[in-house]
Amino acid sequence: MSAAARAMAADSSAPDRAAAPVVPAVSVRDVAMVFSGQAAVADASFDLASGRFLTILGPSGSGKTTLLRMIAGFQRPTRGEIAINGRPVSAVPPHKRRVGMVFQKLALFPHMTAAENVAFPLKMRRFDAREIPARVARYLDLVHLGPYADRRIHELSGGQQQRVAIARALVFEPDLLLLDEPLAALDRKLREEMQLEFRRIQKELCITTINVTHDQREALVVSDEVIVMDRGRIQQMADPISAYREPANAFVASFIGVTNRIEGRLSDAQGDAVTLDTPFGPCAGRWGAPAGRSPRVGEAATGMLRAEQIRVAPSGEDRGGLDASVSAEIVDVIFEGERVVYEARLAGRPEATLRVFDHDPLGHAVQPVGATVRLGWNRRDLIVFPND
Amino acid sequence: MREARAKRLVIGALVALSLLILSAPTLVVLGASFTAGNIIAFPPDGLSLKWYEKVAGASDLRQAFWRSLQVALICTIVAVPVGTLAGLALAKHRVRFSNALQVYLLLPFTIPLIGSGIGLMLLFGEAGVLGSLWPVGLAACVINLPFMIWAVTASAGALDPDLELAAASCGAPPLQTFLLVTVPAVAPGIITGSLLMFILALNEFLVSLLLVDARTVTLPVQIYNSIRSIITPDLAAISVVFIACAALAILALDRLVGLDIFLKSK
Ligand SMILES: Nc1ncnc2c1ncn2[C@@H]1O[C@H](COP(=O)(O)OP(=O)(O)O)[C@@H](O)[C@H]1O
Ligand SMILES: [Mg+2]
Repeated sequence: MSAAARAMAADSSAPDRAAAPVVPAVSVRDVAMVFSGQAAVADASFDLASGRFLTILGPSGSGKTTLLRMIAGFQRPTRGEIAINGRPVSAVPPHKRRVGMVFQKLALFPHMTAAENVAFPLKMRRFDAREIPARVARYLDLVHLGPYADRRIHELSGGQQQRVAIARALVFEPDLLLLDEPLAALDRKLREEMQLEFRRIQKELCITTINVTHDQREALVVSDEVIVMDRGRIQQMADPISAYREPANAFVASFIGVTNRIEGRLSDAQGDAVTLDTPFGPCAGRWGAPAGRSPRVGEAATGMLRAEQIRVAPSGEDRGGLDASVSAEIVDVIFEGERVVYEARLAGRPEATLRVFDHDPLGHAVQPVGATVRLGWNRRDLIVFPND
Repeated sequence: MREARAKRLVIGALVALSLLILSAPTLVVLGASFTAGNIIAFPPDGLSLKWYEKVAGASDLRQAFWRSLQVALICTIVAVPVGTLAGLALAKHRVRFSNALQVYLLLPFTIPLIGSGIGLMLLFGEAGVLGSLWPVGLAACVINLPFMIWAVTASAGALDPDLELAAASCGAPPLQTFLLVTVPAVAPGIITGSLLMFILALNEFLVSLLLVDARTVTLPVQIYNSIRSIITPDLAAISVVFIACAALAILALDRLVGLDIFLKSK
C-alpha cells in the first residue's frame, strides 16, 4: 500500500466519518466569478468536511482570493451556489455569516488596542457583555498575547499583529475560518513558526479552515487537503501526499515540488506502463492522465520527474533496480548541506538539462563539475501526461 | 570630510534664514505689542503690558473676537460632517472622479477670493440673511471645504481597503461599520481638517469684509477698520492674542494626531 493510500485509509476509518452521511461544512457547487468578461474563477466545485484544514494553492492571479471572498460573502458569485453547513448563503450578507477571516494585510482596526480588536466581533454579535472580557482574555492567551492586551496595533510587531488578527477571527467561534495569505509578508523563519501555530490552533479548536497561499511548502505542511488552482480553475483536490505523489496533470506536477519536464512521444503503452521516446533515448514512465484518457502510441506527451527521485551514480557503476537510466555530464553543483543540487546535461543534448537533488548517506560523495555520471529513476516516478 | 561639513554649514544657514524670514512678521508684531510708547514701532520703545490692558478693556475688540470664534465654530460644525462624508466618498471612488476632484481641491488656491466673496454676498443678500453671523461661518466653510476634504482623503487613502470588509466579517452591519470603524480610523484626518477649518475661519478676512456689517463685524475686519483710522499698539496686542489662538490650535493638533501628517503624504 502506498503512503498516500495509507493516509487515506487512516482517514476514512475515523469513527464519525464512516457513520451517517454528514453535511459538509463548506460546499461549493459550479461557482464562477466573471469580471468584465474575464472569468476569475470558473466551474469551481468542492466539498470540505467539518474540522478539516484545506489549503488553496496556486500562482498569483489564479483566482484564490476571489474564491475565498465569495465564501466570505464579500463578492457574489456570477453563477453557482455556496453552502455553509448545508445552508445556501448566496443571499446572506457577510456580517450575517458566521465566518472569521484573516486578511492578507490583516486589516486590524488601527484606533483600537489588541483587546478591543478581539472584543469587537463579540460586541457586534451581541455576546453577553459580562462574558466578553474573560473570552477576550482566553483567546489572547490562546495566541500567546496575554501581556500585550492593552497595546495599540502599531505598538505590536508583525508577528504579534498576526496573532491579534487570528484571535479576532476566532473569538466568536465561527463555523469557518478563512485565511488569505496572511503569512506572505513575514520573513521565512516567522512564517514557518506561524504556519505551525495555525496548525496547532486549528487542531486545538477543531475549526474548519480554508487557507490560501502560493507557497507550496506551506500547503504541504499545514493542510489536511490541498486544492491546486490555475487560471481560475481547480486542477486537483487531494490530501498533500496524493497531490505530491499523484498529480492530476502536468501543471500540478510542476507547481508542487521541483520537477523536470521531459518532452517526447509515446513509443509503447501497456496499461499504465508507458515508454516515452525522448531525444536521449526511450524512458520508462507511468501514465498519469485520469481514467478514461488512455495513452495512444505515437502521441506527443510530457514526462514529469521530481528532482529528488533521480539517483546519481558515477558512470560505469550501474545502480541496480532502477527502471530507467541515462548518461549525463554534471554542469553545475550546489552543496546545500543536507543535499547536493546538480544540474546535469544529457549526453549529446546540450539544451536538455535535468535538476537532481542527491544525498549520499553512506559515501558522502559529491560529483565534481564535468564528471560523467549515470542518472537513474524508477518507472513510477516519471509521470507522463498527454499534451492536449 | 571637509566637504560634508561645508555642506552642513550651508544647509544650516539656509534653514536659519528661512526660519527668520518666516517668523519675522510675528516677531515684529510680538515686540511691538509690548511697547511702552504710544506709537506702533519696532524695536519697541520700552516694555509694558499697557496695550494688552487696553485691549482687554476695549469692548468692541472683545466682541469682534468673540464673533470670530463663533464664526470659526459654525464653519467647523458644518465642515466636519460634510467634509468627512465627501472625503470618504471621494477616497473610495477616487479613480472615477480623479480629474474633477483635483480641480475642485485646487479651487481655494486658484479662484480669487474676492470673486467668491461677491458671489456669496449676492446669494446671501438675495436670501435676506446678511446681518447674522451664520452666513459668515457658512461662507468660510464653503470656500475652505477642500482643505477638510483633502485632510480626510489623505487619511482614508492610507487605510487598508479591507478594513470595512474585516468589520463585516466581525459581524458589523454597514452602519456600525461606518460609525465604529471607518470614521474612527480616519479620525486623524477629521481632527486635522476641523482644526484647519477652525483656524482658516478665524483668520478669514476678505470674504467676511463683504458679508459683515456693524452688528457682525469679525476681528480681522475690526482690526482692518481700526488701521484705517489710527494705528496704535493695541492692534499689535490683539494680533498677538490672535496668533496665540492659532498656535494653540496647532498645539492641539500636534497633541491629538501629530504634525507629521503634514510632513509626509502617508
Ligand atoms: N474586483 C475585481 N475586478 C476585476 N478583476 C478582478 C477583481 N478581483 C480580481 N480580479 C482578477 O481576477 C483574477 C484572479 O484574482 P485573484 O482572485 O485576486 O487571484 P489570486 O488571489 O489567486 O492572486 C486576476 O486576474 C484579477 O486581476
Ligand atoms: Mg490573492
